[in-house]
Amino acid sequence: MAKAIMINPSDNTATLFGEARAGDMVRIVGQSGDVMEEIKASEHIPVGHKIAVREIGEGERVIKYGQPIGATTQAIRKGEHVHAHNVVSLIFPGPPFHSA
Amino acid sequence: MEFLGYERPDGTFGVRNYPAIFGIGTTGQQMAVEIAREVKGALPLLLDEAALRLGEDRERVRRTIIGLGHNPNMAAVLLVGLGGGYMDPVGLAQEIAGTKKPVEVATVLSSGGFAQALDKALGTTRRLVREVSRIRRKRVPVTYLTLGIKCGGSAGNSGLLSNMVVGRAVDTLLENGGSAIFSETPEVIGAEHLLAERAVNGEVKRRVLEVVRRMEATIKRAGEDIRGSQPTDGNIKGGLTTLEEKSLGALAKTGTGPLSGVLEYAERAAGRGLFFMDGPAGPISIMVGQAAAGAQIFAYTTGGGFYTSFRNLPGWGVGGLPVAPTISVVSNKSNPRDEEEERFFDIHCQGVLEDRESIDHVVKRFLRELKAVATGKLTKAEKALPRCWVPLEMYYTGPIL
Repeated sequence: MAKAIMINPSDNTATLFGEARAGDMVRIVGQSGDVMEEIKASEHIPVGHKIAVREIGEGERVIKYGQPIGATTQAIRKGEHVHAHNVVSLIFPGPPFHSA
Repeated sequence: MEFLGYERPDGTFGVRNYPAIFGIGTTGQQMAVEIAREVKGALPLLLDEAALRLGEDRERVRRTIIGLGHNPNMAAVLLVGLGGGYMDPVGLAQEIAGTKKPVEVATVLSSGGFAQALDKALGTTRRLVREVSRIRRKRVPVTYLTLGIKCGGSAGNSGLLSNMVVGRAVDTLLENGGSAIFSETPEVIGAEHLLAERAVNGEVKRRVLEVVRRMEATIKRAGEDIRGSQPTDGNIKGGLTTLEEKSLGALAKTGTGPLSGVLEYAERAAGRGLFFMDGPAGPISIMVGQAAAGAQIFAYTTGGGFYTSFRNLPGWGVGGLPVAPTISVVSNKSNPRDEEEERFFDIHCQGVLEDRESIDHVVKRFLRELKAVATGKLTKAEKALPRCWVPLEMYYTGPIL
């Protein structure tokens, strides 16, 4: 099973250590190694990318490392891929400099 | 938390006991290399003379050399070079002599010739090597330890793994009264407000923002707009979505503790705690600057992949930089089937990726390694590589005449 780490308990994302295909279960662990829960990836999520560990509303902050790393451009469901297609920077909120 | 360190007359403690030869300028560097070849145990530092540099750059070089002389790992310092000029070894020696360590000088000008100066320097070095060999380690708390932190060759997992491990260890070190210094101002851009929030007072907070804005302006003048071009295509492909996520991953290595101060490049930290030192991204520049600021031991985090497949490039930072031992912390193997790679690096996080251990466990391993290396255990780089005899880069912002 693919593993993803939730760095801080207040994070709403976890970052994948192993790739997950659509439908795969992903084991969410904390820094202690304790398993927090298992979530089904609703789409393909590559290594190093983020999965939503709960619902994130439109315009809501995306949290990683216990800090805001951006805001969503649309509502994101638990198990979905969280990345450049549905998140913008809070500091540089324009369209991505590079094509996604 | 304790380690065994070498006591210096100014009350600091070194994790190594170097009879150091500071080779100032081309002449000095040549002398230093010759001395190191002849006398076993002498540590050559090849230092710039900043001959063709102006104002701020010259001042920085001078400050760096004096700072290195103050570094607790230097048991004794012999400054060699042509003599005279802005970076006169005699003047530098006077500044370093404030530490009450053995500080000596040999210049071509005062000896009447290169061969004569070299002869004098060789005799002095042999004497200093004998003298410092008498110093013994003493048990002291980590309040006397300053850890320099650097990351390089970062991959998508760095913020999660190697940086997280070091950051957690830094928190523990600080809680026990130790100190740490981190740098690389370009990496802070995008997360400076979050860093500023950790400042212990308003002045430190103001300085964080000032230093970051200054670096951003310097980059802009060169035609780059860091905010507009980061994260890069490679970063995005690897999973980093925003600039702040990237910078937070980099900042993860500084832990979560309060920020005690902001230092200029090579400025010695007054007091203990976590310090942010202004500086560029080059590994040698950073480590030289941090050593001048007081760091006796380094943690170098890297993602794995391209760089680790080269097995510790000397002088790249993970290899044998002369001023202080470097503990390398690698996130993941460059080649999962490569058994050999682990022999070359000190702390691996591959076990976390493979579900064999937790981050907590790697943090404990790192802290054990930190105490051991501070007490005398050789790092993989110290064991595997010859001394790094390259000219030590510093930090320049101005023109060369």
